Amino acid sequence: MGLLNVFSRIYDEEILRKLDFLRQISLFEGIKKGHLIHVLESLQERTYLKGETIFAQADIGRALFIVFDGRIELSRLDAAGKPEVIAEVNPGEFFGEMALLEEMPRTATATAAEETKVFMLFKIKLDSLLFSYPKIGVVIAAQLAKILSARLRAVLERPAGN
Amino acid sequence: MATDALKKSYAQFLLPVAIGIAAVYFIVVAKGALFPFVLSAALAYVLNPLISYFEVRGFKRSYAVAALYITAGAVVFLGVWLLFHFLSSELQDLQRTWPTYAERLQAYVTNLNARLVKTYPVLAKIGLEARLQHLLELVPQLLLSLLPALTLLFIVPFITFFMLIGGSGIIDYLLDHLPARHSELILHITSRIDGSLGNYLRGILTEAFVIFLIAFTGLMLLGLNYAAVIAVLIGISSLVPYLGAMVGAVLSSIVAYLQFGTLLPIIKILAFFTGIRFFDDWFLQPYIMKKAVDLNPAVILLALMAGGEIAGIWGIVFSIPVTCILKEVLQIAIELQETEFRWKPKPEPTRISIPYT
Repeated sequence: MGLLNVFSRIYDEEILRKLDFLRQISLFEGIKKGHLIHVLESLQERTYLKGETIFAQADIGRALFIVFDGRIELSRLDAAGKPEVIAEVNPGEFFGEMALLEEMPRTATATAAEETKVFMLFKIKLDSLLFSYPKIGVVIAAQLAKILSARLRAVLERPAGN
Repeated sequence: MATDALKKSYAQFLLPVAIGIAAVYFIVVAKGALFPFVLSAALAYVLNPLISYFEVRGFKRSYAVAALYITAGAVVFLGVWLLFHFLSSELQDLQRTWPTYAERLQAYVTNLNARLVKTYPVLAKIGLEARLQHLLELVPQLLLSLLPALTLLFIVPFITFFMLIGGSGIIDYLLDHLPARHSELILHITSRIDGSLGNYLRGILTEAFVIFLIAFTGLMLLGLNYAAVIAVLIGISSLVPYLGAMVGAVLSSIVAYLQFGTLLPIIKILAFFTGIRFFDDWFLQPYIMKKAVDLNPAVILLALMAGGEIAGIWGIVFSIPVTCILKEVLQIAIELQETEFRWKPKPEPTRISIPYT
């Protein structure tokens, strides 16, 4: 009992919670739990307050964002120049993955709809992860390709006029 | 209305500017006191990945730091005890034999000087002998002047301990309070600088330690006096690229000449240091420094000389890390000019003519 007490004093339960969270993210599906530690090492945490802009449409993208808790709204300027909410991102979902492939302008604006904690994966960190741990890299690259393919299919299958 | 907005936009900078001015004033007034903190921050920065390694594996930060200190303390204690074991006898020996060596060196120079002056009378004006006499007298003084630096050995680990424990909290706080819209760009820049600078510093420290070990073992096997002292000097000078092997070769050759008085040991030592140099170039550097920023030796030399000119010995110590940061910042600045400020037309995104099937 005493030993268990000492262990729980030294061990940080928060890490387990984060690792369990990462296991549920589709981008990391197929990565072993032990390897997820390297992914967690490469992530940057940040909390955004309600109403803060995470990035704006046309900004150059450099990171992927995973929502840990809270909610993010993605909006785009319509033809009249008015922002129109196109999606909501909830815990366990991610956005901005295009930035991991090429440094191109963002196609939407991301705003925190409430106090939100995100994990950021920067392209430079992903690159070093790909080279240092190719097993993780292969999984992430394959998942990214799947996600982009799904997005493209969704665009093509969208009824005309939408 | 517009003036109000303008006033407001100026007003928001008042506090940061005031804090900035106060900080600069504080640095100017108390620069002496800040120095151990700068060194500690640098040490904490170098050690932080080790703490993060354990932290991300579930150990609470404070326990990871404590474990690191206990382990490092034991290793350093053992290392220092062993080193002193070797060094103290060598230093005592040096103290005993220094006057003889100094006399021999002086006699050699006097002899050389007499011959040179005879052939080239103009050299008499330089006063080579008097200069050497002055230099030899300076040696004990120089050793004494290093003593205050020893106090840093106690203060720096003490401050570093608290920086390692509390530092990440301060950094997280600052990160959370960056302007939200620009945090992606700022974090991108800091992670790039951190990537190349961190790898460089950790790489160069590992390299210096490996070279120290090889030099120590090699010189012991060659039976040279003061192997420990010379190996420590080689290790420290290895922090400056190319200097380690050179310092080692010159120092060891002088000691070998004074100890053996023949040419063969000097040739052996020169061959040994040439070997170290190649080993460093072909094996150590490609492996240890592969992820670090690539600095041209000429740039390193310029940085060292400029660092020495600006801030003396500590300028030299910090010149390479600062150059790393400057190089990365310059590179990022040029990239930003191209991506954010459109200096150059953007590269076309990849386009594929065959439709999605």
